[in-house]
Order: sequence, then structure tokens, then C-alpha cells
Amino acid sequence: MRHIPEDELHAYLDQGLNRTQCVEIESHLADCPSCRAMRDGIAALRDRTTALLARLAPPRSLPPTFEALRKRAAEVASERRRRLHALAWAASLVAAVGLGWTASSLTRPNEALQSPAPAVAAGAASDGTMRRPDAGQPLQVAAAPSPGRDAPAVARSGGQPSRTAGLVARPPDSARAASRDAALSVLNPTPALELTRLERPSGHGDLELGGMWRTMSWDGAKAEAGERLPHIDGLPVVQVQVQSGEQSSRPVMVVAQQLASGQVIRTIEGPATDVSQLLSRRAISDVDSLFLPGDSAGLGRDASHAMAMQLGDRMLAITGDLPSDSLRAMIRRLNAEMRGK
Amino acid sequence: MTDDLEQLYQSTYTAVVRFLYRKVWDAERAEDLAQEVFVRALSHRPEKPRAWVFAVAANLARDEARAAMRRKRHLTLLKGDPIAQPTIGPAADDTVEHDEQMASVQDALNTLTPRDREILLLWDAGLSYPEIAAQTGLAVGAVGTTLARARRRLVDAHDRQQSRTGTDAAHS
Repeated sequence: MRHIPEDELHAYLDQGLNRTQCVEIESHLADCPSCRAMRDGIAALRDRTTALLARLAPPRSLPPTFEALRKRAAEVASERRRRLHALAWAASLVAAVGLGWTASSLTRPNEALQSPAPAVAAGAASDGTMRRPDAGQPLQVAAAPSPGRDAPAVARSGGQPSRTAGLVARPPDSARAASRDAALSVLNPTPALELTRLERPSGHGDLELGGMWRTMSWDGAKAEAGERLPHIDGLPVVQVQVQSGEQSSRPVMVVAQQLASGQVIRTIEGPATDVSQLLSRRAISDVDSLFLPGDSAGLGRDASHAMAMQLGDRMLAITGDLPSDSLRAMIRRLNAEMRGK
Repeated sequence: MTDDLEQLYQSTYTAVVRFLYRKVWDAERAEDLAQEVFVRALSHRPEKPRAWVFAVAANLARDEARAAMRRKRHLTLLKGDPIAQPTIGPAADDTVEHDEQMASVQDALNTLTPRDREILLLWDAGLSYPEIAAQTGLAVGAVGTTLARARRRLVDAHDRQQSRTGTDAAHS
């Protein structure tokens, strides 16, 4: 007669066996005193284990009501929707401005070099967040050289940027075309070179990172940054933003990409100090609010996660409303890709 | 569906907190993570919620542990991530005796291999053999073997410790 192995008795007591196995064991136990003794020993061992583990318990506390959790889950969901909405808005704005620029360049090739339309259009649209420069202080908007196209270096000094100039400069039918093509342009960044000035709503004067951000075309940015342009291969790029360091000459690059789920992740590369400041001050949210005037207050503390990796004096970071596991996997992949280049 | 989750919450919240506590050793953190688990469950609506809840809890706890390791290697984690400020160490505000008893079990638990420990904790959290097997990748038949070994080792390690220190805490 075969005796019952120890692990089977554990499984038996743990109710981890099927009915047939249980019947077999029970009929054996009925006839076998040594297996019964072993079963009792294992039962005692189980009880001791449970008693020992019971000491490893946190002090009891009152759990939140389920209703409270449900509310939080709803907040998280609406935050996700809001961010998605913000993105669609931002993308269509970029597309609209880009198409407006292209259209006006095509229709009025001679004026293209002087046209401040894109910058002003951006200014008009994001009026809540962006401040007009002091009247006495000319807004210097210098386009970065964008190899591969006729770099329209726009320098606008003084003057009074009319808030509707961009819209006026754009023929009405191209505006319609812009909205029609906006969705498409999310996946194919427009070749527009757009200049935006970002200031924090608080109006602090000491923020280097609140300064100039340029939204660039993928090709333009790539030409400027070379292989340093952080991105994850295979995901559509929705936005590229660049900030030239004021002290260091190397720029901070922010590339927004869209996952199949619709969520947006941003990869950031730049000098370690700049990037960590950017992250810690949540300037990423402010980049959003550039397109969503006055709406940055809604960003919850946990709405967006970030993960950063320091490599010498450089820092690579990734942000997005994703579980930290996913972000971690992405930053590893990103790091591997950047190193591979 | 929601009612199912609510029931699950009422019946397993404490077990999830305990499960997490035994991994992060911080009561508040364990509660935060447990709540995070259920908030995620609410938006994910998993098919097998009980197994799912413990799988996510295990992942979150693993994140915490990795984060602690990573900090040691001077890789930086920033903002917003719940990993940013875990406190590792035994819970405060307990009686000395309770602390000692706890520490002795904790030490005993640490003598187990990570896998044995995980399976023992999952069992103690109330998961069935098939659920444990699904979560750990172990064959169902191997769960009993692993639990047999883990229980034996835990009790042995604890007993050895008690006889070494001579402060024999009452066995319950």
C-alpha cells in the first residue's frame, strides 16, 4: 500500500485537490494510522504557520468606503479623458497653424518671410496662459535654422501683435481644411515651424525653463538634435518641442508620442539639471496648458507619472499616465535605443 | 459587476493590505497601495478580480522593492511616482514585545527563497491553488510541494531563532 506523500497531504488539507484525489486519500487515511499521524502533524504545522504569519499584520485601520474609491476611479478616468481631449485640441491647433502657415506661404510667397502669422496665431489661441510681452520690451522670436527648407527666420520687434492676425491671415477655406485634416496631422506632424513663448501663470521671473519652447517638425528637430532626439520607434509622433538651454548650449527635447490606446507619453532628453527641474516643477503640465488656457490646475498629483534615468550629465525621462511598470519598460527600451545609436 | 467588486473589496481589502504590508513593511504605504489596486480594478474590470487584485498588488510591491534598489544605484526617480517616498522599516507605535515577535517572524520569513515566500504569502492571503499557480507560473501540482517546504522552513527557522535567543515567545 502506497503511503500518501507529504505534499499531497498539504494539498489535501488546503483543499487543493480534486474530488477523485480527495476520495482516494480519505479511503487510505481510514486504513493507515501512520498517514493519519502524518496528516495531524501537517495540520499542526499549517496552524503554526498561520499563527506565525498572523503576527506580521499591520495595525488595523478603517478602510475607506468603496464609494470613495469609486469616486477616485472616476476622477482618474475623467482626468485621462481630459488629457486626451487636451491632446486632440493641441494637435489640431498645431495642425491648423501649420496649414495656415503653409497656405499663406503658398498664396503669398513674397510675404512669407515677414509673416508673423504662426507665432501670433499661437498667441491668440492660448491667450490665458501666454502673456504679451511688455509694451516696451520687444518680443524677440528667432526661428532656429531648419535645414532642408527655406528657414523663415522671423524676427519681430516692437509692434502690436494683433490677436486675430493669424486667423485673418489664413484664408477661411484653409481654416476649414485645417480642421478637416487635423486628425490626419496628428499622425503626420506638419512641417510647420511654430514659435511659442511659454510663461508660467504664476509669472515668476526666475524660471529659465519657462522661457522659449519651439514646436518643431520631426525632420527639423532631428536635423538639430541628431540622434539625440528621444523617441520610441514605431509610435506616431504628435509633437516635438525644443528648448535651447540659456546657460548650456545643448537643448532640452520633448517628444510626445501616442500609444495605440490613445494615451500620450513624452520622452525628454537634455542636460540633467534642466530635465530634473522640468520634471520636478511639472513644467510638462504647463506645456499642456499652453494649449489649454487656465486648465492646468486640474492636473491631479498622480495623474501623470514620470521616470528618469541619469546618464552622466544627461538625463533621459519619460512621462505619461501609465503604470510605473510600463514606464520603466519604456525607459529601458528608450535607453537601449539611444545607446544603440 | 460593480457589486462583485464591492463585495471583493469588503472581503479582501484587509488581506490585500496585509499581503502588501509583508512586502513593503510600512502600514500606511501598504494601505495606499491596496487602495490603488482597487481603484485600478474599478477601471479595468478584470475577469477574475480576486486573482487580478493580488497580481497587481504583487507588481506594485515589486515596484517598490526595485525602486529601493535603484535608488541605491543612484538612478533617479522623480515626481508623481508613488515609489518616490516609500519608507522601509518596521511599523512604529507598537509595543516592544509585539515588535520583537514580529521581527522574529520577519527574519524567519526572510530565510525562505523569494518564490517559496511568495507562494506562502499568497496562500495566507486566501488564494486557491489554481489561483496561486496562475499567478506564479507554477504547476498546480507543485503548489502543494512548495507550500510543504515553505511551511516547514518557516517554522524551523523560527524555532531555531527562538532557541538561539532563549526568549521563547509563546507559541500560539
